[in-house]
Amino acid sequence: MTSIHVQDLTKDYGARRAVDGLTFTVRPGQVTGFLGPNGAGKSTTMRMVLGTDTPTSGTATVGDLDYRSIPEPLRVVGALLDAGAAHGSRTARNHLLALATANRIPAARVDEVLEEAGLAEVARHRVRTYSLGMRQRLGIAAALLGDPQVVMLDEPSNGLDPEGIIWIRELLRRLAAEGRTVLVSSHLMNETATFADQLVVLGRGRLLADTPMRDFIDAHSNPRVRVRALESSRLEAALTRAGHPTERADDGRLLVEGVRAEQVGAIAAREGVPVLELADQEGSLEKAYCALTADDAEFAARPATAGRREART
Amino acid sequence: MSTAAEPTTSPRPAAPAVIRSEWIKVRSVRASLISLVCIVAVTLTVTLLVFPTVGQAEADNPGADLLFNAFYALNFAQIAAICFGATAVSSEYRDGALRVSLSAVPRRGLLYASKMTVIGALGIAAGILTAYASFAVGQAFMGEYAIGLDEPGALRACTGGGIYLGLMALFAAGVTVLLRSGAGTLGLLIPFTLIVSFVIGDMSSTAADLLPDRAGQVVLYQDAPSGIGPWQGLGISALWALAAVLAGWWAFRRRDA
Repeated sequence: MTSIHVQDLTKDYGARRAVDGLTFTVRPGQVTGFLGPNGAGKSTTMRMVLGTDTPTSGTATVGDLDYRSIPEPLRVVGALLDAGAAHGSRTARNHLLALATANRIPAARVDEVLEEAGLAEVARHRVRTYSLGMRQRLGIAAALLGDPQVVMLDEPSNGLDPEGIIWIRELLRRLAAEGRTVLVSSHLMNETATFADQLVVLGRGRLLADTPMRDFIDAHSNPRVRVRALESSRLEAALTRAGHPTERADDGRLLVEGVRAEQVGAIAAREGVPVLELADQEGSLEKAYCALTADDAEFAARPATAGRREART
Repeated sequence: MSTAAEPTTSPRPAAPAVIRSEWIKVRSVRASLISLVCIVAVTLTVTLLVFPTVGQAEADNPGADLLFNAFYALNFAQIAAICFGATAVSSEYRDGALRVSLSAVPRRGLLYASKMTVIGALGIAAGILTAYASFAVGQAFMGEYAIGLDEPGALRACTGGGIYLGLMALFAAGVTVLLRSGAGTLGLLIPFTLIVSFVIGDMSSTAADLLPDRAGQVVLYQDAPSGIGPWQGLGISALWALAAVLAGWWAFRRRDA
């Protein structure tokens, strides 16, 4: 079993600290979502795991090995860092063949991953004719080339069509079910919520959370109840008296913050208000994430700066 | 996900696989493949244009070095060789391509040495083919002035001229790694070689004689114009190429990709 270990990892670019004392472990058998706004240090961390960037201090290892000391690393770790990285003048097949050859992976495997990524038809077309979604699929095909135990994908859903998004989701679930270590970065919360088991959340290069996704959502969202009743103004008054301020949704339902369905049900029963519909509202990953990062001034006040940095680094 | 082999436990020699991978990279990018072919093609085209028309008239000039004149078209071949060296490297410096290469071959020394080996070997092979072919084709139009490979220095000039083209490709490759830009390299080296060859021209100064193209081209003369011998001159070009490749390595081994 191969885990990714990040230990006290720090990376400075000039005066700017992109990654700041990061420590976490990505374990096999589950999909770990790697979250954070643009410029939080996700891509930089992945590059240090792959040894293309050298840490200022600390270590990033795969199964206790420095990536640079793995003899044929594509057989151990498959990564998608940048979908634009394949040279436009090469065909998809030649792009993968050059990578496969360097790690003595048989050429038959190239055709296999092209088939798996849905690119078999266009394998001999130049990459410059590809859409962003097709380049993304090519990058994922490259990551799967060596049948690796560890898969690391940076924003794999970028540019994918709905069919592609479902494909990547099922692929990630399957890779985890096969016992592989899967780390997937994203800034799309709703998308991440569909495939992640574990979350590692970064903000300005620091670790904000490293927990199971369910726990993360529960910890960072307020309970909220949706209720529809016949005499909603009477229920509203009763709830307000009980210290639960309500909010009237457009469709006439009441939204009650900070309570569970059983409390609202009890109040309605005491008042004798007939309830037509009553449900706890699931906290969403997006809301939980926003609650966690709301404190951080940089994200709220200077999103444009953060975006530019990501583009540069 | 089945046919890929198990991770290797016993380390096998990695260099042949990486060299083959680098060859696939060169031949699968149109710009580098075309400049490689151009080393031969441009030279033969120029030879076919120039030698039937003005070849014999040039040979009639007093003090003409018939052997050196035979390689007139190599002036154009060296530009193709520089383009080849530059484009073979610059494809790694676009859109994070180098990160993908390093993810497959994280040992930078291995990746760099393999790439330079492929560029040098292809450059020298194409260069030697070019030198012999253009010599043979050119002399076919020289009539009474024609010289053969049995002419003193001819074999040396053909072989040395081929090696010279390979060295220019390596020189450009090293500079491209240093600058991380093919366009930058071409903008620097092509005016440089053109100015040195055509503007400084016959002006003989010791400093100009030591420049990579001037020194290397001494190998093409029957009677060396400067005090530098033919193989010495080629050796000076080789030192330039080595310096560029080492400077590239100095930058390559440390820089974040």
